[in-house]
Amino acid sequence: MASYFTDLTLIDYTAYALQFLLIFIAIAIVLHKNNGTIIILIASFSLVTASLYVINNAPDVAIAEVAIGSAIIPLIYVISISRQREFIVLDKAMDDFIITDNQLTGIGYILLKRFSDFYHLELNITNDPLLCRLGEGKDQVLCEQTNVDLIVSKDPTTGEYILKGKASNILMNKLEQMTKDYNNIRVIKFKDRDFGE
Amino acid sequence: MSRQILLIVLLGVIFGVFTVSILELEELYNSFGKEYFLEYGAQQTGSNNLVTAILLDYRLFDSLFEAGILLIAVSGVIWISKHDIEEKNAKFMIDKYKTPDLFVTFSRLVYPLMLTFGFYVVINGHLSPGGGFQGGTIVATAILILYYIDADKETNIGLIVTVEKVVYLLVILVASLSIFTRGTFFTNFFELGASADQKAIYLVLLNVLIGIKVALGLWTIFTAFLKEGR
Repeated sequence: MASYFTDLTLIDYTAYALQFLLIFIAIAIVLHKNNGTIIILIASFSLVTASLYVINNAPDVAIAEVAIGSAIIPLIYVISISRQREFIVLDKAMDDFIITDNQLTGIGYILLKRFSDFYHLELNITNDPLLCRLGEGKDQVLCEQTNVDLIVSKDPTTGEYILKGKASNILMNKLEQMTKDYNNIRVIKFKDRDFGE
Repeated sequence: MSRQILLIVLLGVIFGVFTVSILELEELYNSFGKEYFLEYGAQQTGSNNLVTAILLDYRLFDSLFEAGILLIAVSGVIWISKHDIEEKNAKFMIDKYKTPDLFVTFSRLVYPLMLTFGFYVVINGHLSPGGGFQGGTIVATAILILYYIDADKETNIGLIVTVEKVVYLLVILVASLSIFTRGTFFTNFFELGASADQKAIYLVLLNVLIGIKVALGLWTIFTAFLKEGR
């Protein structure tokens, strides 16, 4: 055992150092909160793994590891995360709920702005005519099939504003909490349907 | 509670099997296979890279299913991200997070180099480290970078998937050709006594086909990701 440590060459020490580095990176990936940093850490994890493969005489596996682990997977993560950063609201009501005096100062806008700032999301309000023309019954399909997160519409009889979204979207629970004090706002959550239903 | 007890018993059994197998380490880690491949590998398969020799000759049957797994994964991704009605997304929701100019410029510089390196790794799979799968992923990464250069690029997923399926069938066809020349499935279709150059034709052909298949499969996967939420 004593001679085991003295016989180590430089490449062995490098391998041990890289393995310890791997443990630290793995712990950092679990503990870190910022998504961008996590992506970089995952990429560096693959890079260290690839160099360990090279040290262990497996260049074929190392090439595959570099190409997949530190190029394709981080890029796919970047795409997915940038897609999640927007909060898209479809404004069907088209009255002073959102836009007052040609400016974005309505009660609804301030509420939604506060809500999206809380989650560091980019608020995006649209009144795309193609989507607005769809009937009331199509709202659930609209939420499922397009990238619209929330639909704002007005109840013609009671004058309430109705916010509709998917129940699986955890942001909806927070929105329901925030709108509890307003008595002219109602939140409706669509239950998720199974595939093919 | 009963489930936890069952789990502990299961873990105990696995640990027991592991210790028993560790005791016979000498038998498990013999160098018989290694010596055989070192002695006969290059001569029998015509491949200097023994990994390719095992992947495309000795264990071609396993490799076919490995390629099939990627095809199944692609089908799964497409099925999950399929959208029945035509997407009508609002107009002004174009990508707000535009790619930085520096990244685009570097991508333009790196793109042809990556593509060339990918093809090099595919074609030299039997001579140097690499092969169809590794080269295919590099080519796919190059294509992915293309989307960062031009965000509005349109792709026809249906066509890509169809080509991928056809290429997979071609791989199986080329692998099965040996039934006519050697009498067995899934090996080189040249005779065992053929020269290394002749055998290399088969290796390069299969590597290129697998490379195309892998590149198209990964291309489909990240196109599905790119389309999601647009």
